[in-house]
Amino acid sequence: MVISKKVEFSASHVCRSSQLTDSENERVYGPAANPLGHGHNYVVEVAIEGDPDPVTGMILDLKRLKEILDEKVLDVYDHRLLNREVSPFDRIVPTVENIAIDIWNRIAPSIQGRARLYSVRVHETSDLSVEYRGAE
Amino acid sequence: MTVRTPTVRLSRRYEFFASHRLHSSAMTDAENVATYGKCNNPHGHGHNYEVELTVRGAVDPITGRVVDLVLLDRLAEEQILAPFRYRNLNEEVAAFRSTVPTTENLGAEVDRRLREAWPKTFPGSGPHLEKVRIWETERNICEIAAENRQ
Repeated sequence: MVISKKVEFSASHVCRSSQLTDSENERVYGPAANPLGHGHNYVVEVAIEGDPDPVTGMILDLKRLKEILDEKVLDVYDHRLLNREVSPFDRIVPTVENIAIDIWNRIAPSIQGRARLYSVRVHETSDLSVEYRGAE
Repeated sequence: MTVRTPTVRLSRRYEFFASHRLHSSAMTDAENVATYGKCNNPHGHGHNYEVELTVRGAVDPITGRVVDLVLLDRLAEEQILAPFRYRNLNEEVAAFRSTVPTTENLGAEVDRRLREAWPKTFPGSGPHLEKVRIWETERNICEIAAENRQ
């Protein structure tokens, strides 16, 4: 069984790689390559897999999941410039792909007991989202 | 040394508006009305269709992207949006001269067009098209996934 929870944060980023030329950056990322940055209201859907506890009827206490998301994701990402203020985006480009992977890496160790992290989906806009299900 | 990069699924959504009529020449008028109801109206009607493409692949370590969105958008524009946008699907899209433009058949046609054009845009073992979903309305959604293609 899979249960999911949704949270939101707002952040700014610049999509530019120091390993690409200016014109390559503009071709790959379009207006998102603006060096002064721009922002999004990100929506994060975290899905947890497992069998419900026979007594509580829960796979994982959703209050606990909310605490993990607050501490590991929202406190780190919300109202930040990702390139400057959130590691590893001083080294890699904060595309929505890399954000989904980073959120997975931040929360996976905290999901314990009968629950297993199944997927992290990050919506950058209403028409673009990325899902990461861990190493495949 | 081969650097293993994570595999992710990226979903991109597009919208187009089109009209259609659900009517099969293999059925009687009464059967068509019984099968398709209001959608059998001889004058046709339209929808705001949404198409979501899910692409699976490895994240490029330099760009941080799983697929070149400029190329994906161009492929969607050429194969789906330009041919279907503001069209009467029954009259103006060849595939629907012989099949009924239900959400199922429209989804299958979207999937067929994209897979046919895919290798030219994304050659080799690059990102692949894992899933196509099409919304006729918010409540009618059809999904064609790689594992259950015929």
